Amino acid sequence: MQRRNHWLAAGALAIAGALALSACGSGFSSTTGSGSKGLTSSKKALTVLIGSSGDAETAAVKSAVADWSSSSGTKATVLPATNLTQQLSQGFASGKPADVFYLSTDALAGYASNGSLLAYGDQLPNKSDFYPSLVKSFTYNNKFYCAPKDFSTLQLEINTDKWKAAGLTDADIPTTWDQLDAVSKKLTTGKTTGLVMSGQYARVGAFMTQAGGNLMNADSTKATADSAANVTALTFVQKMLKEGDLKFAKDVGAGWGGEALGKGLAAMTIEGNWITGGMTADYPKIKYTVNPLPAGPVGKGTLQFTNCWGIAADSPNQAAALKLVEKLTSASDQLAFSKAFGPMPSIQSAASAWKSANPALVPFLDAAAYAQGVPTAKGAADVVADFDSKIETLKTADPKAILQATQTNLQALIK
Amino acid sequence: MTTTPLTPSAVAEALPAVKIPPHRRERLTPRRFTTNTIFYALLILLAAIYIFPFLIDIATSFKTEADAAADPLSLIPQTFTTAAYQKLFLNSDFPLWAKNSFLVTASVTIGRVFFDSIAGYALARLHFRGRNVMYAGLIAVMAVPGVVLLIPKFLVINQLGIFDSYAGMIIPLLTDAAGIFIMKNFFESIPVSVEEQARIDGAGTFRVFWSVVLPMARPAVVTIIILSFQGSWNELSHFVVSTQSPALTTLTKGVASLAAGQLGQATQYPLKLAAAAVMTIPVAIVFFIFQRRILNASDGSVKE
Amino acid sequence: MTTTVRQSPRLRMRRGTGIRKGEAASGWLFTTPMLVLLGLFLVIPVLMALWVSFSDWSGRGSPFSSGVSFTGLKNYSSVLTGGGLAEQNFGVALKNNAWYVVLVVPLQTALSLFLAVLVNRQILRGRGFFRTAFYFPSVTSSVAITVLWLFLFSSTGAVNKLISFVGVTGPNWFNEPAGIFHFGITNGPGFLVNNSTLGVAWWDWVGGPSFAMFALILLAVFTTSGTFMLLFLAALQNISGEVQEAAMVDGANGWQRFWRITLPQLRPTLFTVLTLGLIGCWQVFDQIYTGTQGGPAKTTLTPAYLSYQTSFQDQQWGQGAAIAFILFAIIVFFTLVQRWVLADRKVSKRRLRAYRIPGSKR
Repeated sequence: MQRRNHWLAAGALAIAGALALSACGSGFSSTTGSGSKGLTSSKKALTVLIGSSGDAETAAVKSAVADWSSSSGTKATVLPATNLTQQLSQGFASGKPADVFYLSTDALAGYASNGSLLAYGDQLPNKSDFYPSLVKSFTYNNKFYCAPKDFSTLQLEINTDKWKAAGLTDADIPTTWDQLDAVSKKLTTGKTTGLVMSGQYARVGAFMTQAGGNLMNADSTKATADSAANVTALTFVQKMLKEGDLKFAKDVGAGWGGEALGKGLAAMTIEGNWITGGMTADYPKIKYTVNPLPAGPVGKGTLQFTNCWGIAADSPNQAAALKLVEKLTSASDQLAFSKAFGPMPSIQSAASAWKSANPALVPFLDAAAYAQGVPTAKGAADVVADFDSKIETLKTADPKAILQATQTNLQALIK
Repeated sequence: MTTTPLTPSAVAEALPAVKIPPHRRERLTPRRFTTNTIFYALLILLAAIYIFPFLIDIATSFKTEADAAADPLSLIPQTFTTAAYQKLFLNSDFPLWAKNSFLVTASVTIGRVFFDSIAGYALARLHFRGRNVMYAGLIAVMAVPGVVLLIPKFLVINQLGIFDSYAGMIIPLLTDAAGIFIMKNFFESIPVSVEEQARIDGAGTFRVFWSVVLPMARPAVVTIIILSFQGSWNELSHFVVSTQSPALTTLTKGVASLAAGQLGQATQYPLKLAAAAVMTIPVAIVFFIFQRRILNASDGSVKE
Repeated sequence: MTTTVRQSPRLRMRRGTGIRKGEAASGWLFTTPMLVLLGLFLVIPVLMALWVSFSDWSGRGSPFSSGVSFTGLKNYSSVLTGGGLAEQNFGVALKNNAWYVVLVVPLQTALSLFLAVLVNRQILRGRGFFRTAFYFPSVTSSVAITVLWLFLFSSTGAVNKLISFVGVTGPNWFNEPAGIFHFGITNGPGFLVNNSTLGVAWWDWVGGPSFAMFALILLAVFTTSGTFMLLFLAALQNISGEVQEAAMVDGANGWQRFWRITLPQLRPTLFTVLTLGLIGCWQVFDQIYTGTQGGPAKTTLTPAYLSYQTSFQDQQWGQGAAIAFILFAIIVFFTLVQRWVLADRKVSKRRLRAYRIPGSKR
């Protein structure tokens, strides 16, 4: 009897402890609704959390933010994240998130729906200057949440020397799937595979758009994974895989397409404009050209990737954060970023300046006219991850079955 | 009989008991000679399998990337280079990670030795109400698998306002059930008469513990030091959930992020393996000191 | 041995006004740090997570704030019977980890026992060296070892180079999602492919671990066998030599002596090792976090990593916590099974007495 009492007492103590803790937790305010127009404003310093691709990017963002700090008088520190998604989650849960941060399209819906984000898009003075498809990627429940930071599209990169060695000329640059298949076969010799790319939706998806499909419609409100167009696309990719003139990067022992191209394991790869930075840093001796992806049965198509500058709903200094974002998305800053680490400006007014500065990379920017975004519905990232895991086995799997399973998973998200 | 512990404590308990029995010379018949030869060959082969990966690690860290990929087995670099180490120490956050790891490990080790031993002493020797319940609770707590605590630990650390600080990294690790268990078991093996003499001389409880009992518990304290050092130096998941700023990254977290790699980073095996090699050195040192300690302890005066 | 002390505290306390004065106060004082720390970072976290697993907390602010509501078993049911991606992911994770356990536990136990018996040979010279060699992998950090493993098992790594000496092209270990028991067969028999449990086809359940997971299995055996070897070594040295000698007189050879005498006496240690192995194996996290993040094709996803991923990356905190508790239940289940088996076996120890020489210590 006595013993039981002790246990009860211990239990009570623990529960009391938990309650006391919860009382501590009530200090977090949940007043800032995402609908309110008024921005919080204070003298507090800003924290900028970035998912940096490397030293060049970190340095460029740091210097831009420091410039703003000195001109505005508001202190701001840049933190490069080791694991951005996790750190954002922890920040929001702790009630003291970073004020400004990189936010990917697939994370938007989750954070927007639980009220972690400030929907400030409509307050941007240059709102109409952003590419409409990018704005769409950051619109959730009809609210434009955050300013697109920059973007990139997928194109075809070709190793110049291997191209010439195979006896190919500029006239042979593929403009159709059949031509792609043909040149890829010619380029496959010894250790070199004609085309190497990562085995994931973020590459294979480009073929889906060329066939007129994609996983979801442009607003991410309808699942379209099991369309005939997608089956056509995956069947074509599967055919190339089976013939051995297309391999996934992992299967040739490379982390991504750029590495395969750099190490000479691939004659061609499909990557976005981040490849320029990677090649310059790791494989400066490799010569390559950027060419538009071939058109599919329905026409030109590619995927675009973008991040935005998120602002936290819990930030005590949203007014200053918005000012900082305005500065970071201005033409001059975006062109400076582009020069430092290669992304393309998200505003149309900077396009011509960018093209003249990067003549070799023009295909990337030209694709802005027809590029499609990736699904942004809440939970889509998880479904895409599942899709990716199946794409890895595409060589031997049934494309229809893969797409059907993905369709079911996507439909579950929008119910 | 003590209950079977469900944690590394079992390991620790076993360690001091590993003694080398005296050699017994046996006559060498020809048959015995062949069995011995086979036996040694087998042992040496096994040992080679266990050691070889570490030799490859060290060798590769001095290779160039191309060399590492071309000849992964060779123990002699084709072109000897310290580029990986230069990049690690001069051009990355590695020194900062190492500093954080040292700081946390030192604090945790000191904390555990102190808190584990006082709690272990109380549970072993002091008589007070609730002791048995406490002991039962301790056993129960040892059965909780650490990984289940990942999310909730973050929640508590967060609620306490010590998220992303040294406090949040260190305080939750300051005591461990297994360590208390080891100390309790050890204190029970020390004769009570020693303490009683001190008490008669008028020493207070803490004094008796601190200047009489604790010095006698040296083997157990050494065990705790080793386990704490190893445990907190190699800890990953706690730091993953308790910190976010780069200034607080430890070696485990930092090297894990190196390994995971990001877009645009090449495989960089020499660099990663150099990092792995360097982060192993402190544990290796402690381990080799420990090896000798086991021998010393078994010769020492304290016997169970 | 502690029972006598345990039963008498009250008696002693009443008597002990002299030298045992103030013991209760010091007792509480000495244990307060332990109570606070373990309470704060073990007991309360578990209670909090329990609440989160029954709630719809979205990851913003406190889980105890007014906006968070109780949702009953919803999180558990979506993981166990939801039919959606959550269930599939959990099924895959469970399958992966089950194979991990099934292969690692017997392998590490057998290998560590074997090493202990070898190192325990009385004629052995250089025992310290061998013990060190076998134990060293156990002290190094799992992060460092995983990094090393990624290199050894890369497509152009040392392991494949070794395999190539016998004329076989090694698999691309960490990128090979194929199950090792599928032997390259890509399409299984219909009834295996079309039936599924927890959203995973039977064909995949029986496929065994992927090559990637198998590499991690080897890693686990490599790093744990040393620790368990020490446990067995300690136990071997406590076995009285007299029993062995008695058996030797009876004419039993080494092999018989090992199975009939040594092994039965090692039973308690054997079960400790099995339990520790089982518990440890269900908690694989570091290697996955550092090395594979669940890939390729989710074949190294484990419940522990899934729990982390679901919470921190996908913002499904309730579901993540629910997975953690299901994992907890699995571990407790196996611990209890082991306890039950251990208790059962203790009886048979009596039979062992037949071998004992009267008057020997144990």
